[in-house]
Amino acid sequence: MADRPSDLVQGTLDMLILKTLALEPMHGYGIAVRLEQMSKGVFRLNAGSLFVAFQRLQRDGLISSEWKATENSRRAKYYALTDQGRKRLNSETREWGRQVAAIARILEAS
Amino acid sequence: MSLLRSIAGGLRSLFRKERVEGELDEELCGFLEMAAEEKMKEGMSRKDALRAVRLERGSLEVSKEIVRSGSWESFVETCWQDLRFATRSLRKSPGFTAAVVLTLALGIGANTAIFTLIDAVMLRSLPVANPRQFYRLGDNNSCCVMVGTQEGGSFVLYSYALYENLRDHTPEFSGLAAFEPWTSDLSVRRNGSAAEPYKGEFVSANYFNTLGVRAFAGRLLAPPDDSASAPRVAVMNYHTWQQRFGLDPAVIGSTLNINGVTCAIAGVTPPGFYGDTLRSDPPDFWLPLAADPEKWRLPNAAVEWLYLVGRLKSGFAPEPVQARLTVELKEWLSSHREVIPDRDRKDIPRQYIRLTPAAGGVEKLRTDYETGLHLLVTLSALLLLIACANIANLLLARGSANRSQMAVRLALGAPRHRLIRQMLTESGLLALMGGAAGLYVAYAGTRTILLLAFRGASYVPIDARPSLPVLGFSILLSLLTGMVFGVLPAWTASQSDPLDAVRGAGRSTGDRASVLQKSLVVAQVAFSIALLIAAGLLTQSLRNLEGQHFGFVTDGRLIVNVAPSLSGYTPDKLVGLYQRLEERMPQVPGVLSASLSWYSPLGGNNADERVYIQGKTPDYRWTAPSWDRVGPHYFETIGTRLLRGRVIEERDRPGGLNVAVINETFARRFFPNEDPIGQHFGMTDVSHSGDYEIVGIVEDAKYQDTRGPAYATFFLPLLQTPPGESFRGWVGAIELQVAGKPENLEPAVRKALADADPNLPVLNMMSFDEQVARNFNQERLIARLTELFGTLALILACIGLYGVTAYGVAQRTNEIGIRMALGADRGSVLVLVLRAALAQLGLGLAIGIPAALTGGHLLAHQLYGVKSYDPAILGAAALVLSASALFAASVPARRATRVDPIVALRYE
Repeated sequence: MADRPSDLVQGTLDMLILKTLALEPMHGYGIAVRLEQMSKGVFRLNAGSLFVAFQRLQRDGLISSEWKATENSRRAKYYALTDQGRKRLNSETREWGRQVAAIARILEAS
Repeated sequence: MSLLRSIAGGLRSLFRKERVEGELDEELCGFLEMAAEEKMKEGMSRKDALRAVRLERGSLEVSKEIVRSGSWESFVETCWQDLRFATRSLRKSPGFTAAVVLTLALGIGANTAIFTLIDAVMLRSLPVANPRQFYRLGDNNSCCVMVGTQEGGSFVLYSYALYENLRDHTPEFSGLAAFEPWTSDLSVRRNGSAAEPYKGEFVSANYFNTLGVRAFAGRLLAPPDDSASAPRVAVMNYHTWQQRFGLDPAVIGSTLNINGVTCAIAGVTPPGFYGDTLRSDPPDFWLPLAADPEKWRLPNAAVEWLYLVGRLKSGFAPEPVQARLTVELKEWLSSHREVIPDRDRKDIPRQYIRLTPAAGGVEKLRTDYETGLHLLVTLSALLLLIACANIANLLLARGSANRSQMAVRLALGAPRHRLIRQMLTESGLLALMGGAAGLYVAYAGTRTILLLAFRGASYVPIDARPSLPVLGFSILLSLLTGMVFGVLPAWTASQSDPLDAVRGAGRSTGDRASVLQKSLVVAQVAFSIALLIAAGLLTQSLRNLEGQHFGFVTDGRLIVNVAPSLSGYTPDKLVGLYQRLEERMPQVPGVLSASLSWYSPLGGNNADERVYIQGKTPDYRWTAPSWDRVGPHYFETIGTRLLRGRVIEERDRPGGLNVAVINETFARRFFPNEDPIGQHFGMTDVSHSGDYEIVGIVEDAKYQDTRGPAYATFFLPLLQTPPGESFRGWVGAIELQVAGKPENLEPAVRKALADADPNLPVLNMMSFDEQVARNFNQERLIARLTELFGTLALILACIGLYGVTAYGVAQRTNEIGIRMALGADRGSVLVLVLRAALAQLGLGLAIGIPAALTGGHLLAHQLYGVKSYDPAILGAAALVLSASALFAASVPARRATRVDPIVALRYE
């Protein structure tokens, strides 16, 4: 089980976070839980690497943040995809698909 | 765009640190809380849930640290932390810091100063357009006026006629300029005020065109100015305009009285232009050759007195032009055989012209100071090496002292790269401080050397500002040394197991400073003792030279150098001038006595002449004694004692008995066993041997050579010339014996001179002390520089010894602790540490003193009144060095005695 982000393919964490945010704005823990659920428990992220990625994405202008109340009425910072982030997600998804297909072809060739 | 945002975000978290930190804190806390709540829903207790979350997701503090280090501003922040830490730890060890900064400052400063001079003297081009096109016709610095073929066949000096011929027949040059090899003294008066001394250079009218210099204001010289009938003009140096005329625009176009002739100031040269030759006191004025007061030179094709510099048109190589010039030269010499003396005619075919690159102008300073500069370069490079080695020693000592501290930090989890970065910051900070101090040392050093080398010069056109490439190089080198030797201990410490280091494994007994380190200190001691001894010898020799009995008294004397010939005096008018001066000068308040002479002692002039003694057959001993013309009161004014007979008095005028006063050496040489008084001698030939009657004998005095015995000399009255003799020897010096400081009297004396004759050109005025002191410029320069470098070497050697001893003490702290715990007292610890230092000192002296003795042998011919093995100087140098070195070593040694055994052994 890969539970450390360093085991993620370099750069995929950012893409996954963007994908998670494509539906709706979420707070940090929500993103972590969603990633775990969607990966069926393969990616369990620690707080440090997750928040480094948030900081990076925000500085790159791909996500924005806002303090809001959660459903349990606690204060949390919600992250949302910006237009630029949406564009980046599309282009990265396409590129990822291309690469995966290419790698698959190589691995399947006998 | 995103870069900007990243910078903005970074700056925000740097400057609004608390708020950003607070937000991060809250967010992370929330994150962990939510995760914990999730676990609690599954039935865990809050405590267990929090613990599980910490294990799974990382603790709050670690997460915060990770997030922080993920951004660039955290790098800035840790740098800032390192810097503060470095400042704190350096402040805690002021001795170490001072030693390193001083070493760096001296190493960097000395090198930068020397290379600044090298750059100015040897590498820099003239401040004119395309200096690389310049070539000089000639390859040496022969001076000043010659006739016939030239030394070795290489033509350097040219007559005006030959210059015109070469100029008009060598189309490869876009311009060929001629100028005097020297600067002339000018006497300049503004609107009737007293005459002031200036420097001038007589140049061909195309000089500025050829050099490609444009006027800063007004115009420069142009070809029509060369004609004898043209109105007299002069071009002023910008520096002169600035310093002496306050940049007054009204000066341009106005007239000045230069050497008694009214001259219009045509214009000003651009700032920074100093003429064709880098030298102290460059010309204040440039005047056309036609204005040369020595009117016999210009029209005479036989007199060779000009240097030539040409600008080659682009596309022409110097070699073919050189060959063509040589052909032109030989043709001209062959067709002007009348100007070549008979004895030289056979040499005409061997004459040639060599073109030498003159981008740097006529290389006078370069030739004069080349060996000196090379010596300085070697010395300063050696100093820089020693400085670097010292820094290595000091840093190693510090590094090993800090080893346990570093081990503790490693054990606490500090990453290796952070430790190394922190050491780098410390070394960098030291190098920076050393560099800044070095900058100051460089500036002061350059100025000091210039001041020493050009004593008495009022202006040297060399910029004392440090040359940037050299400063950069020195700082880089010391930075690198600092980096390497600063990081080395951190690196070795970080390689070993932190536990070992904490436990104290790897501590040592015995002195672990390497053989290399120690031999370096030995070499430094040897080097500095040799330099100190040399400095002592040269200084003593200089003191002996300056303090010797010259045969006159310099205290309270003022010498005024004048040149009546420049303003058109003829011999028949001199009587009146001399009378007015002799009457007027003693009336100046403060003047005790005044006299006139052709020249004064040790002023740079000397005349000699073959004499014929009446009633004796000429022999070799009669060759050329020196002679001078002096007025009444001369000997009492300069303080030369009369031994027998009488001195020259008022009554010794033209028409009276022609008399002479001789000195002791003259008397001894020409009248070994008889009374000279009443004897007769003369000049020119035997028929004149009855011209002068000897009336007095004065003590010997040195007029020219300060080291050898006084020359045989005779003195004649100012104006007496026997029938058939041509008159020579115009008054050139006025000697004044004054009360109080001679310099204070200058304005009053200038006023009196202007009263006596407003047109009398006054070249300069200085105390007799100063005039004599200028004879020892070279000796003084060498002595002071050796002292300077000797002191530098001494300081560096002490720092080196300090570094190695400190290193040894740091290495042996545990050992010393054990010894003290076992009962060693402070004295024995002191001896233990100092023994090593003493061994290095002793070895250094044992090598250095014999080396100095051998070197002193080479110095012997330069020494005056002191033997090269002078025991007092040897002893003093050794004492100074030993005392300083012991002091330096005692600092770490005393620290060793303060080692607390409990502390040293705590790790056991």
